Amino acid sequence: MRNSAAKKIFEYCKKNRDGFLISGDAGFGVWEEFQKELPKQYINTGINEAAMSGLAAGLALSGHKVFIYNIIPFLLMRNYEQVRVDIAYQNLPIVFVGIGSGITYAPAGMTHYSVEDITVAKSLPNMNIISPSDPVQVKKALDFAINSSNPTFIRISRSGEPTLFDDNIDITKPLHVKEGKDRVIVFHGSIVDEVLKASEKLDDVAIVSMPFISPFDEKEVKNMFEKYKKVYVVEEHFEEGGLGTILSDFAMKNRIDTNIQKIAIKNQYIHDIGDCSYLREKLGIDAKSIVKRVKHG
Amino acid sequence: MDSSLKQKAINIRKNILKIANSSKGPHTGTALSCVDMLTVLYFKVLHVDSFSDENRDIFILSKGHGAMALYATLYERGYLKEDEFFSYYQNGGKLPAHLDRDTNEAIEVSSGSLGHGLPQALGFAYSKKLKNLDSKVYVLMGDGETQEGSVWEAAMLAPKMGLSNLTVLVDRNNLQGYGRPSELVSFESLDEKFKSFNWDVFRVDGHNLKEIEKALHTMSNKPKAIICDTVKGKGVSFMEDELKWHYYIVTDEFLKQGCEELERSL
Repeated sequence: MRNSAAKKIFEYCKKNRDGFLISGDAGFGVWEEFQKELPKQYINTGINEAAMSGLAAGLALSGHKVFIYNIIPFLLMRNYEQVRVDIAYQNLPIVFVGIGSGITYAPAGMTHYSVEDITVAKSLPNMNIISPSDPVQVKKALDFAINSSNPTFIRISRSGEPTLFDDNIDITKPLHVKEGKDRVIVFHGSIVDEVLKASEKLDDVAIVSMPFISPFDEKEVKNMFEKYKKVYVVEEHFEEGGLGTILSDFAMKNRIDTNIQKIAIKNQYIHDIGDCSYLREKLGIDAKSIVKRVKHG
Repeated sequence: MDSSLKQKAINIRKNILKIANSSKGPHTGTALSCVDMLTVLYFKVLHVDSFSDENRDIFILSKGHGAMALYATLYERGYLKEDEFFSYYQNGGKLPAHLDRDTNEAIEVSSGSLGHGLPQALGFAYSKKLKNLDSKVYVLMGDGETQEGSVWEAAMLAPKMGLSNLTVLVDRNNLQGYGRPSELVSFESLDEKFKSFNWDVFRVDGHNLKEIEKALHTMSNKPKAIICDTVKGKGVSFMEDELKWHYYIVTDEFLKQGCEELERSL
């Protein structure tokens, strides 16, 4: 997914001289070609997230289409107040490309995980939040962000994920990966592989990919709530403040009587050590745990 | 220095007192402190034909709680209408206590939280370099504001980016919200701090219009910092260098006394 994002940003900036890429000292193996070909449209600011965000705002206020690339905690959290005041408050169409969504950087440790980033981003009015699951969704997310007049946060994992969707998808809508009867699993982002694995053992359960966290297609979501009696929201994110919470709020606001179950990481600081698969199992979001929850929950 | 410029500074100070009185809000001392810098900038330095002109000079008031000073200067300069100016802080008014760029085209950047102006100025200044525009970018920040880490992140980055079109003015009144910077942190020498970050540094009397203008017009091939020694509450004797005037309300009596003093000072 990372390479798909890099390719799309490079293509945009090559065609549009207003395009500008900021790296906060991240992107080894990703931005070398960009730097070589478009040196005037690139800066690595170094390790200075506050200045990085302000610089992006100043460029955007001067008419540039700015992309910021960094590991998510250093893209939205370290500099939260700069993002709030300089970018969201001033409503600048900056594109935040965040890598290492969820615990995909395991075993790097809690400082490098992003399991509360949706909560953080959702607290910022004007901010679009997109959590793609494959290279096609990344490309579509960037197309949307480039044309949006608001800031957009795109949370992606690392690299090497397989392509799952075809080019005709409309990622602003929930996408049915598999039809089912009364129950549906809704997911976003990097947990896709665990969900698809779980799906093999859950014959009659529908699977829906929902990369648009905010805003989402309300009509389509209402249809989904009407169609299924039980909705399981699976995400590599804290269970409080992620898509599960957002959908529960939506149902409550619209007085929709539905049964939403969250299969996510309990809000906690993660001290366990291990790779992503190991931690997913420990935290109850691997394929086996998903099957168990859906069969018995 | 012509007396008309001094008269403008007096008008600006009087208007600050007027809206401080009508709003019953704080930050009067803060606003009075930076009036002379703003007067020189808006009447002698900034080139702005239109706020939609890409090649206009950009001014950022980073110490957003000094908003009254900027509003009064913009009013004096003709960028704000009378009804807009006097609606400051009022219910349903046009001008908030801290800057919101949605309120007027002359407000280039929203501010209020400290340490945000300089990083954004880097973006404006770099864009001008990329587009080969000869216009400049100016930031006015408070001295207490220099305690923010973001100021030094940006200060470290600016020379490396070749931003010779960027000037920072520091309103060095040595009085912040609840103490003196020189007593709270290892504050001085501000000159040496900026110099060690590879900036060109000037130190001037921040109430001497001539000195401020000279420093602003001095050519430099590096980013420039002008440390302006000032007095908080400048121009109104009972407000000068008094912490309480960060908060006190300008009553009708204070307004009368203050305006009389200012009129006598020309």
